[in-house]
Amino acid sequence: MAKTRSHIQTIGIVLSSVPGYSETFFRNKIKGLQAHGFRVILFVDYLRADDASFSCKVVSAPPFGASILSAIWYSFFAVLKLFFIHPKRAYRLYQLNKKDGLPFKENIRNLILNHFFLGHHVDWLHFGFGMLAVNRENVAAAMGAKMAVSFRGFDLYLSPLKHPNCYDILFEKTIDYHVLSQEMKHDLRGYNIASEHIHIITPAIDTEFFIFHKKRVFTDTLELITVARLHWKKGLEYTFEALACLKEQGVNFHYTIIGDGIERERLVFAAYQLGILDDITFAGKLPHDQVRKTLENASIYLQYSIQEGFCNAVLEAQSMGLLCIVSDAEGLAENVLDGKTGWVVPKRQPKVLAQKINDVHHLSIDEKEKIITTAKYRVKSIFNLEQQNQAFINFYENKRK
Amino acid sequence: MKDQLKIAIYSGDIPSTTFIERLIIGLSRKDCEIYLFGFTKKKISYSKSVSVFAYKNTKISKTLFLIKYSLLLLLFKGKDKRKLDAILKKQSKNLLLDKVKCYPILWHKPDIFHVQWAKGLADWVWVKAFGIKLVLSLRGAHINYSPIADATLAAMYKENFPRVDAFHAVSIAIGLEAEKYNASREKIQVVYSGLRPDQMSVKLPKENPVFQIISIGRPHWKKGYTYAIDALKTLESQGFKFHYTIIGGANHIEFSYQVHDLKLENEVTLLDTLPYAKVQELMVDADLLLLPSIEEGIANVVLEAMQNRTLVLTTDCGGMQEVIQDGYSGFIVPIRDSDAIAKKIIDIMIIEEKAKTSLLNNALDTITSQHSEEEMVSQMLALYQTL
Repeated sequence: MAKTRSHIQTIGIVLSSVPGYSETFFRNKIKGLQAHGFRVILFVDYLRADDASFSCKVVSAPPFGASILSAIWYSFFAVLKLFFIHPKRAYRLYQLNKKDGLPFKENIRNLILNHFFLGHHVDWLHFGFGMLAVNRENVAAAMGAKMAVSFRGFDLYLSPLKHPNCYDILFEKTIDYHVLSQEMKHDLRGYNIASEHIHIITPAIDTEFFIFHKKRVFTDTLELITVARLHWKKGLEYTFEALACLKEQGVNFHYTIIGDGIERERLVFAAYQLGILDDITFAGKLPHDQVRKTLENASIYLQYSIQEGFCNAVLEAQSMGLLCIVSDAEGLAENVLDGKTGWVVPKRQPKVLAQKINDVHHLSIDEKEKIITTAKYRVKSIFNLEQQNQAFINFYENKRK
Repeated sequence: MKDQLKIAIYSGDIPSTTFIERLIIGLSRKDCEIYLFGFTKKKISYSKSVSVFAYKNTKISKTLFLIKYSLLLLLFKGKDKRKLDAILKKQSKNLLLDKVKCYPILWHKPDIFHVQWAKGLADWVWVKAFGIKLVLSLRGAHINYSPIADATLAAMYKENFPRVDAFHAVSIAIGLEAEKYNASREKIQVVYSGLRPDQMSVKLPKENPVFQIISIGRPHWKKGYTYAIDALKTLESQGFKFHYTIIGGANHIEFSYQVHDLKLENEVTLLDTLPYAKVQELMVDADLLLLPSIEEGIANVVLEAMQNRTLVLTTDCGGMQEVIQDGYSGFIVPIRDSDAIAKKIIDIMIIEEKAKTSLLNNALDTITSQHSEEEMVSQMLALYQTL
C-alpha cells in the first residue's frame, strides 16, 4: 500500500532512453517508487515509437541532431523558452556553468541542450549513469533540486579511459552517488568523494521468478552456462581458453551462452581455433522465461568477466540453485562469497579457472548442496526487489544508514 | 599492335589499401591497362595506363554517374543492358546502387575483373555472363574466420567459388582454407605480397635504454594485442625492463582498460595511427617487432620489419610460417599463448649480437628472394595471362 506523506516527492530520473521491457532494473525502481507514493518523471534524450504507454511521465529532449534545419528550429524555440518561460533557472544555470569555467559559447550551447529540464519541478534529479551527468553538472542546482548520480561498472571504470577527465567537474560537486558494491565505493573514493556521499545499493532480482524447486541433478557431462552480452568485458575468450584446458584433460562438458552482441564473430572463431566449437551453444538473446528454463538444465554458472559492476545474472543463477564460479572483477567478489556461496577466481587466468571448474565438478553432492543452499538463502534475503526499493526510498528520504 | 590486356582491380574504394595500391602501381608499369571502379575516398593521381571510373559517395554524383552510363548502354549496348538488368533484378537488394556500381563495368568491359574482397563476390559473378574472366583474391578475415562464424557467407562461397576463373592466394595457408569452400586447387595461385627495395629504411637503429618492443596495426581483436599485453604483464612481474608500443592501438577501450587494470601505464604506450615514414622510423628504432595476431594472411608489417632489419616475433597464424622460420629468420610462438610470448621475448632479450645479425641477414634474404614487388607484379600478370 502506498504511504501517505505531507509532501509528495518528485524524482526526476535521467536516462538516455525509456527502459525497454528487458531492462528490469529501472522499470522495477520506477514501479517501486510509485508504489511508495513518489511521483516520477523520466527525462530521456530521445523517444521511440512504443514509449508512449510507459508507466510514468516521460520528458524527451528535442531532436536537435536530426538535421541542421531541425537543430536551428529547436534551438530557436529553446532560446525563447529560456528567455520567457524560465528565465530565472536559465540565468542560474548560466552563472553556475560560468563559475565552472565554461566559455560563453559552450555555456549557451549547454543551456539550449539542457533547457528541456528547466520547466519541471523535481525534488531529486537522479542521473541513471555517470556519463549522463557530464555537461549537466549544474542542471539540478539550477532547478533547485538535489542531485544524485548512479555509477555502474562501465561508466566508472571504462568511460574515464575513453573520455579522460570527463568527471572532473562532476566530482567537484557535493552531490550524492549510488554505486553497486563496496569495491565501487572504494574506487569512487579514489576521486576524493566523501564516503558519506557514496551509497551502496546492490542490484536485486525477482527471487520469486528465478526459483527452481527441484533437486539439481549433476551428471558426468558438465553443463556450464553464462548469461552475458557477447562483449570483451565479459571475459568469454578467457573462459573458452579454460574450457580448452578442460577438454585437453578429458573433461566432458557442454557450455551454453545466452546473449548476443557485437563480438559474436570473435568468439565463434576463438571457439573454433581452440577446438571447442562443437561443445558450445551460442543460444542468442532469450526472453526471461527461456533464460530461466535454460538455467534449470545447467549445473555450473560461469561469469569470468574482465570488468563487472555487480552482475544480476550471477544473482539469478544463485537464486536458481546453480553453482557459481566468477572472476574477481570489481563487484563480483561481493556478489559471490568465495568458498561460501560460490567461488571467486582471479581474472585473466584461464588455467586457474579450469582447475577451479574441475575441483567444483568433483565436490561431493553434500558439499555442492551446502553451497547452493547458502547462496540461495543469501540472494533471497539480501538481493530482493523489496529490499532494493526500500533502499532507494531511504536514499531519497535521507534516511540512509 | 597486340591488344593490351584490360584488367579491372576492384576493391570498392579508391584509393584502396596499401598493398592493393602497390599492385595497381606495379601493374601500371607493365604492358596492360588498369581500370579502377568504385567510389573515390580521396583524389589520387595514377599513371596514364590507369583509368579511373569512379563516383563520389554523394547522391548527386551517383545520380549523374547512373544517368551517364544508362544512356551510353541504352544507345550503344541495349541488349547487354537488358541482360544485366534482368540479372540484377533477380539478385539485387538495392537495384539503383547496384546499377551505379555495375553499369560502368559493363560499358568498359575489362578482360579480367579482379575482386579483392571475397565477401562481395556474389555481386560480381554476373561479369562471367558477358565473357569477362573473374579473379578473386583470398585475403585474411574474409577467408580465415568470417565464413566460420557466418553460415550464410560460407554457403555463398561454396556456391560461387566454383564460378571463379582464378584465385590469387596471399599465402599457401589461405589457399588451403579456401579449398574448404569449393575453391578448386588447380585454380589457386599463391602470389606473395611484394616490397620495393628502395622502401628499405636507411636510418640507423638507435641504442635503447630498455628493450623496445613494437606492434603496428589497427585495433582489431584479430591482432591479438590482449595476448601481448598479458605477456608483458608476466615480464613486468618478473622484473624485466622493457617498453611496448602499439601503433594504431590508441582510443580502443579494451586495450586501454587492460593496460590500466594491469598497471602497465609506464610500460605500454598506445599510439594513434602515424604517417608511413614515422612508422618505419619507429620500427627501425625498435628492438623487436611483435605480431601477436590470431589471424593473418601474411602480415605486411612483418615483411617491412624484415626488410628494415628489425627482429620479428610472430604467432604461427595464417601464412606467417611461410615467411618466418623460427630461430632462422625470426621467431614464432603458438597463437593465443601469452606465456609463450613472454618466454620467447626473454630469450630474444639475451640474444647475442652475432646471432642477431645472422637472423636479420636471413630475414632480409627471405624478403629479397620471396617478396619483391617486381616478382609479385610479374606473377600476377602471369596469372591474368593464363586466363
